[in-house]
Amino acid sequence: MKSFFSMWRRLPRPLRIILSRVGILVPQMFGVMLVTFILIRLLPGDPTLLLLGNMATPEAIQSLRERLGLNDSIWVQFLHYVGNVVHGDLGTSIFTSNPVLTDLQERAPATLELIVWAMLVTILIGVAVAVAATVRRGGIIDHASRIYGLAAGAIPDFWVALLLIFFLFSLAGIAPAPFGRIDALLTPPQRITGFYTVDSLLTGNWEALGSAAARLALPVLTLTIVNAGALMKLTRTVFGDVYRSDFIRHARACGLPERVIVRSALRNSLPPIITLVGFLFGFLLGAAVLVETIFAWGGLGQYAVQAVTNSDYPALQGFVLVAAAFILLVYMVVDILYEFADPRIKV
Amino acid sequence: MTRLPASMRRHLGAAAAIGLLLLVLQIVAIVFAPAIAPYSPVDADPLNSLQPPSTAHWFGTDVSGMDIFSRVVFATRINLLISIVAVAGAFAIGVPIGLVIGFYKNPLSSLVMRAFDFIQSFPVFVLGMALVSVLGQEVWNVAIVLAVLFIPMFARLIRAEVLSLRERPFISAARCSGATDLSIMFRHILPNALTPVIVQVSISIGMAILLTAGLSFIGAGVRMPTPEWGLMVSTGAQLMILGVWWVALFPGLAIVFSVLCFALLGDYARAVTDPSAETIS
Repeated sequence: MKSFFSMWRRLPRPLRIILSRVGILVPQMFGVMLVTFILIRLLPGDPTLLLLGNMATPEAIQSLRERLGLNDSIWVQFLHYVGNVVHGDLGTSIFTSNPVLTDLQERAPATLELIVWAMLVTILIGVAVAVAATVRRGGIIDHASRIYGLAAGAIPDFWVALLLIFFLFSLAGIAPAPFGRIDALLTPPQRITGFYTVDSLLTGNWEALGSAAARLALPVLTLTIVNAGALMKLTRTVFGDVYRSDFIRHARACGLPERVIVRSALRNSLPPIITLVGFLFGFLLGAAVLVETIFAWGGLGQYAVQAVTNSDYPALQGFVLVAAAFILLVYMVVDILYEFADPRIKV
Repeated sequence: MTRLPASMRRHLGAAAAIGLLLLVLQIVAIVFAPAIAPYSPVDADPLNSLQPPSTAHWFGTDVSGMDIFSRVVFATRINLLISIVAVAGAFAIGVPIGLVIGFYKNPLSSLVMRAFDFIQSFPVFVLGMALVSVLGQEVWNVAIVLAVLFIPMFARLIRAEVLSLRERPFISAARCSGATDLSIMFRHILPNALTPVIVQVSISIGMAILLTAGLSFIGAGVRMPTPEWGLMVSTGAQLMILGVWWVALFPGLAIVFSVLCFALLGDYARAVTDPSAETIS
């Protein structure tokens, strides 16, 4: 045991950070599976009937009962479920008749592309506005950002999406139609990453790139308007404190240019901002469910809504599992980055 | 409050006044809905479908000819009922749990905390959607699910307060005078630990309104013809593309003002109870 600790201390700090955080992920994933397992057990009635639908024959019910191990004890059933998930078997969707994992893999890039772009724009706008408001205290941006910060938390994302569609598509006609990720007349770019913007860039398909970027504009704008407020408010608080701290005052007294001062103040405000960005991924994933439905995006969120509408429980269970696992991965990366960004934290 | 500069106090007063005004408006809408609404909120009138706003129909009519103004007014009842019941439930369950796990340091307490961490790591909307659709899309199930999702938040807040209060001399004094654990927890610690939770109650009601509306919007919540804001926006969603704006606009505005009301009141409560907190004004 002692030699283990001394070995542990000899490892380079970055490696220790990553290893200790990955270790936490395993029990967390078990917990996620427990929740998704219980979720389906909460359904009133016979799960086989729900999984197979009302038209099921008694033989099909019996064979599914055996396949699901419903005659075993609840713990055996749970272990069975964990075994299936680990082997990539998330069940079969009642609605599409495909394995749920295949369905999810097919749709994941659409959602990821949406939330990654939304996240980038959110960070850019949220941080930029917060910095501008702090540096010019009492200016127009300062006042406007306070009002925006208050209102942003109160606006439902699905309603913002509809307003944007009305003003920019129906009235002004400058935004493309809110139906899908790319113009229906164009063929999507060859699949390399699954991100239409990246793939069309890599293949030099400029027409597809233009269409994909234009289609992204409204949903990304929707998610940004709703989510940048929280990031801006936090950045204001954290950056404001650092900006007024002693070491910044010292830097200014030394005659450093404002640009350098802002940069070093921002560098020191990073840890809490990184944490919030991680949480924002969770919000964005939830918001994507609503926004994708409105823009017929064809991603995971729309799949989940279809699953709810069609009582497609295996698909819903698979989506919740994948969404939670994705968020836990994001949190893990965030924690690791946080410890990298703040060298004072002991691992 | 006394530490805030005069200009900030004035702004804060204005923000709180708007919050209070919106609250009064909502209470009036809830109590006097039948008197305020000129039409029934659930009766269809197909001959008058999709009428734009006019003197007869202030907010216009929807696809089945129902008066949108009447429905927005009546929906205040169902939206606030769900949200307040959910938050009250989360408060009633979360506060005692937080009190107990903060007071007793033992493996069970840390296990409960880990479970809370875990529930909170799920995206709220995703878990809420899945739970409501599994339990059945009823009004009460939406409230129950939201309550369950909010319990960890309240328990965690109370626990954090209890952890520091537990070590204070007045607790030792109470123990010396023969107070039991139960009376220390509820009579001595709880009243001192409630402040941040009160602020959270107001903010949570706003969050619950947004979540309820979102759930109904995707069809995992309240169903037609019940007047509910999110559901009303969803009936106008497709029409928005065709330029019919009034069906989705007005219920959405109702959501914004309602959530704003509870955010402003929460902010005011925070400013009053914690002078060092950054507020909106």
